Amino acid sequence: MLSLALRRTAFSLFSLLIVSLVLFVLTRSIPDSPARIVLGDQATDQQIVQFDRDHGLDRPILVQYVNWLRRLTLRADLGNSFTTGRDMNQQIADTLPVTMEIVAIAFVAATLLSVMLGTLSALYRDSPIDYLARLIAVLGVSVPGFWLALVLILFFAVDRDWFPPGGVVPFSEDPAQHLLSIVLPCLCLGSFYLAVLTRMTRSSLLEVLGLDYMRTARASGLHPARVLTYALRNALVPVVTIGGVSFGHMFGWALIIEQIFNIDGMSRALLTAIQQRDYSMVQAVVMMFTLVFVGANLIADLINGWLNPRLAAAA
Amino acid sequence: MTRLVSRFRWLVASCGGPAGFSGACVIALLLVMALGAPLLAPHDPLQVSIVDQLEEPGEGHWLGTDQTGRDVLSRILWGSRASLTVSALAVVIGLAGGVPIGLIAGFFRGGWLEQAIMRTLEAISAIPILIWAIALVGIVGVKDVQLGPLTITNETKLLVMLGLLYIPTLARLTYTSALSESQANYVAARRLQGVSGMRIMFSDVLPNCLSPVIVQATLLLAIGIIIEAAISFVGLGVQPPTPSWGNMLASARDYLLSGEWWLSVFPGAAISITVIGFNLLGDGLRDRLDPRHIASEAGR
Amino acid sequence: MSEPLLHVDGLRVSFGARGNEREVVRNVDLRIERGEVVGLVGESGSGKSLTALAIMQLLPTGARASHGRILFDGVDLLRLPRRAINERRGRDIAMIFQDPLIALNPTIPIGRQIYDCIRTHADLGHRPTLMRVEELLALVGIAHPRERTRAYAHELSGGMRQRVMTALAIACGPKLLIADEPTTALDVTVQAQIMTMLDRIRNELGLAVLFISHNLDLVAEICDRTFVMYAGSVVESGPVETLFAAPKHPYTRQLLRCIPRLDWATGPMPTIPGLPPRFGELPPGCAFAPRCDAADARCGAETPPVWREPGHMAVCWRAA
Repeated sequence: MLSLALRRTAFSLFSLLIVSLVLFVLTRSIPDSPARIVLGDQATDQQIVQFDRDHGLDRPILVQYVNWLRRLTLRADLGNSFTTGRDMNQQIADTLPVTMEIVAIAFVAATLLSVMLGTLSALYRDSPIDYLARLIAVLGVSVPGFWLALVLILFFAVDRDWFPPGGVVPFSEDPAQHLLSIVLPCLCLGSFYLAVLTRMTRSSLLEVLGLDYMRTARASGLHPARVLTYALRNALVPVVTIGGVSFGHMFGWALIIEQIFNIDGMSRALLTAIQQRDYSMVQAVVMMFTLVFVGANLIADLINGWLNPRLAAAA
Repeated sequence: MTRLVSRFRWLVASCGGPAGFSGACVIALLLVMALGAPLLAPHDPLQVSIVDQLEEPGEGHWLGTDQTGRDVLSRILWGSRASLTVSALAVVIGLAGGVPIGLIAGFFRGGWLEQAIMRTLEAISAIPILIWAIALVGIVGVKDVQLGPLTITNETKLLVMLGLLYIPTLARLTYTSALSESQANYVAARRLQGVSGMRIMFSDVLPNCLSPVIVQATLLLAIGIIIEAAISFVGLGVQPPTPSWGNMLASARDYLLSGEWWLSVFPGAAISITVIGFNLLGDGLRDRLDPRHIASEAGR
Repeated sequence: MSEPLLHVDGLRVSFGARGNEREVVRNVDLRIERGEVVGLVGESGSGKSLTALAIMQLLPTGARASHGRILFDGVDLLRLPRRAINERRGRDIAMIFQDPLIALNPTIPIGRQIYDCIRTHADLGHRPTLMRVEELLALVGIAHPRERTRAYAHELSGGMRQRVMTALAIACGPKLLIADEPTTALDVTVQAQIMTMLDRIRNELGLAVLFISHNLDLVAEICDRTFVMYAGSVVESGPVETLFAAPKHPYTRQLLRCIPRLDWATGPMPTIPGLPPRFGELPPGCAFAPRCDAADARCGAETPPVWREPGHMAVCWRAA
């Protein structure tokens, strides 16, 4: 188990490193240098050189990268944006929790619901609930989240007044309204993964239920509930893996959903940065996303190692 | 007559069943729309008309008009071109780059180089394509770029980027297949016959690796449509006034709450139906081509 | 005569939807007395495993016990509701399977699997149950039982896994243990150890055993009586000594002839020519007739009668 944890952590760090390197090189290679953006087209060469020296942009790329990396790992400091001069840590701290909340709720709801639906679907094959689950699965996978969002807004917020059409009221201001305002975004965000995870749970459980060791469990006369537990410990492994991947993907799609619902989350930080050509901010935000994905995958792998010791042994 | 019927049956079977066949039909329809847009569209998609602004679906404009009086139906027909081009060409690039890399790495086994390449590809594909796409387009910028006589539109930049982002997935898929195929007995037999490695790789191993690749490619086509729409939606994809389903949705946002529902429903429906079509076809092909999947289905 | 522990009466098991059924177990009668070791012999596909699974009510999906009774301690198992069956499984009847690697849950420690079984049927309390688990592991011959309780199936050798499965089966003190080819997946040396273990368990606990195998040697070693099955029905049954010394059914006779012996001269090994019939394609008359070396025209046309002596029966025209 320990070796699995070490290997997976090492690989995660490797991923982060690769991504950061690619981003760093990209942002430093584009023709529009930060100096030009801040100082404008009329800037003299001397002003540009001065700007670059002030911000450490005249050093070789590798040196810049190492400095940036050192700052990030030792002090968790993303630094100040070159173009806006603002503290990027603060900007992210302002917007990350909002996105995190929506993604977390959507993820937990989708996971719990899909495991339940998938399990019922597998246990009661060809029953009404099985058909319902499979219908949800097909629809969820095919209807893009952002179109679902538009339709739901039209239906619920415009024609009826059940949910607010956009914006998230802070929890501290009005808890009830806050919860109402995140229902639609979470629903749209989670629909795809609900479908994927339901399908995965169903097929995985069906496969496990047919295996020999389940026959042994029944032969021992175990209660049906315990038999199910015996099955799920094995069947949930692929579901956990996909779950980890899904969390990361959901974080990405939250960008789009936030835009539709006018939510001030990471998407605003990213898109504003792109608009202002604030590449250092773009890099910072993408690094945050990367951290979330890699972290989610790592946690999923560790959970699987705990669930299925044979995997841990093989690692 | 019976010949037609049996040909039809064969067609349905090769798509993996009635569901897959419906998917194929949807895609065929899409192709017709995209290729035939100049002929089929009742109006010029770029034609502005102050008089006809924001008209509800009805005569003359079956799907209504947008805020500058442009016909929605025509824009949807023309928009299918953008979606299809980006999606299809991206997959082509992905296949052209990914399959050879995976094949060579899996067959010739380059020692540490192979491991390094595969690990790096794995690291890159750990990040969802959407984030990469937004970040890369965001960094490179959305303006057209002049490369000598060629104008590279944002659309082109997008499809190239998507294609490059597909390479890791397709490479790893081919790699896994090539790896297990290269241990197979028939490969050893061919080597004993004195056939060169390259020939074995192309004529024997490659065809056997293609099944999962084809299935994945179909699914990537669906993903491409969604990503193009999403990226255009946030303004980083196909730039207006060129119509794309994604940027049509983007401009529809402003009119969501004021009741012009046709501006968002129709482009979104087009996206959804197309994606459903690709997914159905992909599932159908998987049922047909993936022996493991077939075996596990039968086992139930 | 006292009631037998297990009395399978006219059992039929079929596959397939109604109207399109294929019978794979045809009219099987079995009897096992308390404490007896009974063998069930036959080729692959003869229906012996399915008979055992029918007794445990663990038939695979698509299979159905369509006819007959399975009387265990006087109660017809086929007529019991699901919960009542589940109570008896593990507690009164238990089964061990052929391939212990895939028959044990890979994600749950083996000690836990045995613990759960005991807790389901008896409420001994936490500590006493743990101790019982260790006792059981020691009983089946596993060294260092306390450490082994935390082991996972894939960490153990094939022989040890089979011992664990036996411990799991006898955990609640069943009256009947069904062993479905318990040694087939094991090396010959390990096979011998497991057979010794099974014999010892049987003696110490006094339980009845239904020993299923295609290996006549093993059956001869451990069983008191044997049933021989071919193409889904019992063709001969009797005490092991009688059956081996003077078999009445040609199938049994030809099977015995196929067992390799050290004192054979070199030359081709004897086999039974042909293949067993496919279900749904049974020939008229005796199912073995096409491959039988003693068959005549009547064998291929009319169903053979049951020949009986006290304790010994055979279904053959030529048995007398």
